[in-house]
This record gives sequence, structure tokens and C-alpha cells, in this order.
Amino acid sequence: MVSSRQTHSILVLPSESCSKMSIAVLSSLGRCGFLAFRSPVGLVAVRHAQTAAAPAAEPRIKKFQVYRWDPDTPGDKPRMQTYDIDLNTCGPMVLDALIKIKNEMDSTLTFRRSCREGICGSCAMNIGGGNTLACLNKIDTNTSKPTKIYPLPHMYVVKDLVPDMSNFYAQYKSIEPFLKRKDESKEGQEQYTQSVDDRQKLDGLYECILCACCSTSCPSYWWNGDKYLGPAVLMQAYRWMIDSRDEFTEERLSKLQDPFSLYRCHTIMNCTKTCPKGLNPGKAIAEIKKMMAMYKDKKTATA
Amino acid sequence: MAAVFRLSSVCHRGVKPLFYRSTLLGRPLALPLKDQESPYLLSARIHASQNLDAASGSTAASLHWTGERVVSLWLLALLPAGYFLPGAVVDYSLAAALTLHGHWGIGQVLTDYVHGDTKIKMANAGLFLLSTVTFAGLCYFNYNDVGICKAWF
Repeated sequence: MVSSRQTHSILVLPSESCSKMSIAVLSSLGRCGFLAFRSPVGLVAVRHAQTAAAPAAEPRIKKFQVYRWDPDTPGDKPRMQTYDIDLNTCGPMVLDALIKIKNEMDSTLTFRRSCREGICGSCAMNIGGGNTLACLNKIDTNTSKPTKIYPLPHMYVVKDLVPDMSNFYAQYKSIEPFLKRKDESKEGQEQYTQSVDDRQKLDGLYECILCACCSTSCPSYWWNGDKYLGPAVLMQAYRWMIDSRDEFTEERLSKLQDPFSLYRCHTIMNCTKTCPKGLNPGKAIAEIKKMMAMYKDKKTATA
Repeated sequence: MAAVFRLSSVCHRGVKPLFYRSTLLGRPLALPLKDQESPYLLSARIHASQNLDAASGSTAASLHWTGERVVSLWLLALLPAGYFLPGAVVDYSLAAALTLHGHWGIGQVLTDYVHGDTKIKMANAGLFLLSTVTFAGLCYFNYNDVGICKAWF
């Protein structure tokens, strides 16, 4: 077993440069050790052929125009800075390009990033005119056009591509995004079970990573971001309203009874269009509006 | 495959070394005073939200929304009605529905774009005046002229 793992690791290294070959190697590994011994010879040849061909490739220089602003430099005005990157030596995503710039060209460039696979929501920014996650956005390989990168629109900028998310997070906090029960005496004794159907209602809602791409693409949120909750937060509000285990649906709904929190949504649908996770906040808000029209307020019902 | 290989190398060394790289987690212990006073502490400007239990019992906002939908549907139904059954009832219904629909629609625009207490009050007063004049004008037209139905369809 140990010896086979060793051959495996030896074989895998060259496969980085040639995926077809690695499939061949895998199948040979499965059959017997004899073939596995033979295959490295062929691989080495392929590897040489590839490294020999590499210098012949034309450099594909792509321009990246990045928004820069440094609060520590007194009197600094926001500006666009252009970076030239050879796409042949860069990863496929915009985040790869940004990391390459920071590592090799300009260490002062500031941006948030963490998971580089669309799970954390840190690298939300405006790329080529649309809000998206830099890690999920492929670099446009058309080298005749520069890719423009701005921070999320209509947010206070902390530095370069880093927006101030305080307002967004405070709004998220205000909807109390957690399970609430009327009777807290039995808390922690037993799990709250949920039917398969009830659980299914949360699909398409719980996946939200709160990257704020949708909220910052919403014109209503631009003009009334202080009082309008915005699509991301409203979708989470809806997620807790329809949770079968939550007992504060009416209270959650009646908290939106003002002209701003919910009703600044005019179904512009920028939110749904821009969501890098493919979710539909616009629909969730529409569902809230329907629930708002239907629900019986406890106070008026009992009176 | 390469990722698997790298992962296996981590496994050989164990997970512990990963946690000892405390240099990566370095944070300045004391922030410069400038940062603490920075003007972009937005949370200070956010309307403090009350607890869910203390939510207002008014349903005015959702009733307004429902009213808007009802008027829109009513207006939609009045258009064929005006064509097939022209008459005084449809004339005055159209006058009311059009005025109300426009009044609420422009009202939404004002709420969106007009900020500031006095400004919004003035804008709403102006809108009310405009809607009143519109409704009066349409009624005058219905009463003294051929009526909306005949003029349109």
C-alpha cells in the first residue's frame, strides 16, 4: 500500500501540466504496478515537449485599471491605476490577477480576499461594471479592452477596493437573523425537528454569503441605504420568516411596517441579476410583500 | 491531483504546524488614534432598530401597498370597460383611478429621491395640489364635455 502511494505521488507531479496524461496514469495505476512503472518515461517526454513549447507562446498583455485611494496620504484623491499582466503567467480569475499585482507589482494595493472559491464573500467588488466576487469572475481574455475594477458602488471606501460594511452588517443584525421561540424554557433540551418540505423552503435562501453584491447594485439602496434594508438583508429576513421552527413571523413582518425598510424595493431586479451565487433576492422580497398583505397582526386580530 | 498531493504532504507533517504560524495572525495591538476617530464609523449614524417585540402595531405601510395593487388592477379593468361600456360611471371611475394611481406613483418617487423633513413636506404638499387639480380637471371635463371614454377610445 505504501509503495503504491509513493508511485502515485511521483506520477502525479508531472500531471499538473497535462491532465489527459494523468487520467491515463490513473487507469494504469488501477490495473497493475508494471504499467505504472513504465508510464513515467512517457510523461517526462511530454513534460519536456511542453516546457520547450512554452517560450514560443505570445505574451497576452491585459490591462487592469484598478481604483486606488489611500486615506493615509493627506489630500489623496481617488484615481485609476493601470497594471499590465501577462495572462499566460496568471491564474484564470480576476482575484488571481489582483493577487499577482499585490505579490509581484504593487504591494500597496489593498483588497479583501479569503477563500478564493466563492464561499466567504470577502472579494466582492465591481468588475467590468457589475458587482461580483473577484474569485468567481473569469478574466475577460480580450486583451484589447482593459478590465476596470472598482469597490462596491455607493459604499464608503476604507481604502482602495475595501468598502465600509458597518451599515450593511448593522442592518443584518437588526433583523435578528437567528431562531426565535416564544417558549424559551425548553431551550437546549431537544432539537427542533423540521419536515423535509419545510427544510426545502430554505433552499435558495440559506446559501447567501452576505457579500453585499446585490444590496450595492440596488439603486434604492444607493439613495436610501440608511433606512432601506436592501435585498441581501431582506432575503435573510424572509429566510427566518418562513422557517417552520421560528415563532416570530408576525413580529418580523410587523417590524417592516414603514415606508422604507421594505417598500423602497421597486422590483428593479439588479439584485437577482448580479448575485454571484445565483440566488434570487428579488423574489424573496416579493414574497415578503405578499406576506405583509396577508398576515394577521396579533394586536389587531385580538382587538 | 496536485491538490491531493499537497494535502497528503500536510497530513504527513500533521496539522499542528499550521496553528503555530502565529506570525500570520499578527494584528497591531494598539490602533492609531486617527483610526478610532475616523469619520466613517457609520454604525453611529444608523437608526437604532428596536427589538422585535416592540414592533409597531400599525399596518399602514402594507395596506398602502395593497391599495396600490388594487388601484392598478382596477385601472387595468377600466380600460376595456371604457371602450365597451362608455358612460358616466366609467368616466368618473377613470378620473378617480388615474388620479390616485398617479398620486401614489409620484409619491413613491418623492419618497425615493426627496430627502429632508421640510423638503419632503413641501414636495408632498405640491403633489397633493397637483393631484387635486388633476382630479378636478378630469371631473370638469366629464361634466362639461364628452367625457374621458369618448375622448380616448
